[in-house]
Amino acid sequence: MATLDWTVLAFYLAGIVSFGYWVGRNNRKIDDFFLAGREMPWWAIGLSVMATQISAITFIGTTGQAYGDGMRFLVVYFALPFAMVILCLTLVPFFYRARVFTAYEYLEQRFDLKTRTITSLLFLLQRGMAVGVTLYAPSVVLSTILGLSEPATIMVMGLSTILYVMKGGNRSVIWTDVVQMTIIWIGIFACLFVAIFKLPDNVSFRDALSIAQTAGRFNAVDLDPSLTKPYTLWGGLIGGLFLMLSYFGCDQSQVQRYLSGSSLKQSRLSLLLNAFLKVPMQFIILLTGILVFVFFHFQAPPALFNTVARARFESVRSPEKTQAETRYAEAFELRKKAALDLTATRGTMEADRYLAAQKEFMEARTGVATVYQEATGTTDYNDTNYIFVHYILTQIPHGLLGLIIAVIFAAAMSSLSGEFNSLATASMIDFVRRFRGPGTDARDLFLSRVFTAFWGGFACLIALQAGRLGSAIEVVNKFGSYFYGSILGVFMLAVLTKRANGTGASIGLFAGMAVVGLVATFTRVHFLWWNLVGATTVFVIGYAISLAIPSRIEAS
Amino acid sequence: MPAPVDESDPEVVPVFGTWRLIYASVIIVNLAAMVLVYLFSGFRF
Repeated sequence: MATLDWTVLAFYLAGIVSFGYWVGRNNRKIDDFFLAGREMPWWAIGLSVMATQISAITFIGTTGQAYGDGMRFLVVYFALPFAMVILCLTLVPFFYRARVFTAYEYLEQRFDLKTRTITSLLFLLQRGMAVGVTLYAPSVVLSTILGLSEPATIMVMGLSTILYVMKGGNRSVIWTDVVQMTIIWIGIFACLFVAIFKLPDNVSFRDALSIAQTAGRFNAVDLDPSLTKPYTLWGGLIGGLFLMLSYFGCDQSQVQRYLSGSSLKQSRLSLLLNAFLKVPMQFIILLTGILVFVFFHFQAPPALFNTVARARFESVRSPEKTQAETRYAEAFELRKKAALDLTATRGTMEADRYLAAQKEFMEARTGVATVYQEATGTTDYNDTNYIFVHYILTQIPHGLLGLIIAVIFAAAMSSLSGEFNSLATASMIDFVRRFRGPGTDARDLFLSRVFTAFWGGFACLIALQAGRLGSAIEVVNKFGSYFYGSILGVFMLAVLTKRANGTGASIGLFAGMAVVGLVATFTRVHFLWWNLVGATTVFVIGYAISLAIPSRIEAS
Repeated sequence: MPAPVDESDPEVVPVFGTWRLIYASVIIVNLAAMVLVYLFSGFRF
């Protein structure tokens, strides 16, 4: 990182915190703080919804995933536009007309207090832990780029976000998200253009696409009906649909964004903006990763992309290491020649020769990683998140590098801000105001800021301890994935049926989580399908119990 | 019991004019994108 890059990054951080602080300076009531006075335009909410969803790991991890696995990940987003249309027609009008602050508040209006409290509590538990991971994961990568310690990176990101969210609440979240999403879009296009222009002179863009296609990197549509295979078209369309419905329809971090619309129309349009933009955006990010994959055919990539692992490996001296590294260097040259031959002729024989060379290269790379793991006692070495980082650090010109790092910060901070704000809202609205009653505007606003600081601090604490909490965090994340489809089932009962009641919904929710837990533990069904399993179980069991045990109102 | 959903929004939807048209466009554009990606993956560059 050169001085110019640091200047760009510092300018971004100072600018976004100041802007967030300034834009949220006029909050007087909790309506302003949590729902931005319900006066936001659709395009701002739409960009905010998008910014909340895209995290730093989405940006750097997805490009890395495309490098190794191609476009397959795109199928997860194919269901998003359908989910947006369904939400616009079902949940959004209910939320909007109920004039609620949280999605769970609607469940009390429809069912009872018990259902609201349980779902809100589960949201706080799951999202509260997950936000620590949202902060920790990019800090590991960013600390290697910036040369700072992980705690320092965590504190810079966490505290700067807490500062403006505490001051301005949802208004600051949405307007800073607009700026951050704009920076992210600029960054995405800059990376794509750099990836195209960095191709060698004798390799055209079309040649690059030909190499990527031969290597199977464009195989986005897999029609295999298997439930265990990751990212099939059916898993993406059906499982992904339930995932997107749950995330955008039942997760407070998203619901709160579109509840800030000045009308139902504004809220709906914000979701439809995402329906139009999300798939192209993911396509561009994945295409960038694929072009990075092609680029490294002509410039030798390190066998280990993680700089820390590479430094550790340098001190290892063994014949196995020498052998693995020699094989890797030879495999690279072989693949480079095969790729050039393929671009020159595009013949079938050249394609076969290239595929064999690519296979040998991948095996040689795995060979180096295996030697590294054995020599250092490391298990499960995975450097997917470091591939794009290595590329930008070595190939992006100074100044632009600072901007790309600012993009990674923006992606992380835009997710964090929405999550801090939604956690504070659920705590304040579903618990403090629900059980203690509304206070004066000044008291409620003060408490809302205290909750924002609390959840921000909690996220920093989890992130700082993440190394030690490893397995505990994994458990909570797993628990979150059990919860996701199941909570959608509760909302389906609320909106799609007349006879479902709170008892049925609550028992159904726990039954759904238990069934997903069993499926996850005892089968190899891919996680995208868990959402369908959870939602269906809750709906069926919840409805059956509601019929068997009618509510008191219904009985009377 | 859920409140009935009122679809009659008096405001005009920007660019598309009606809600029905914007929903149909989202679905058609997405289906077209899926077909394009499928063709893209099989195209001989």
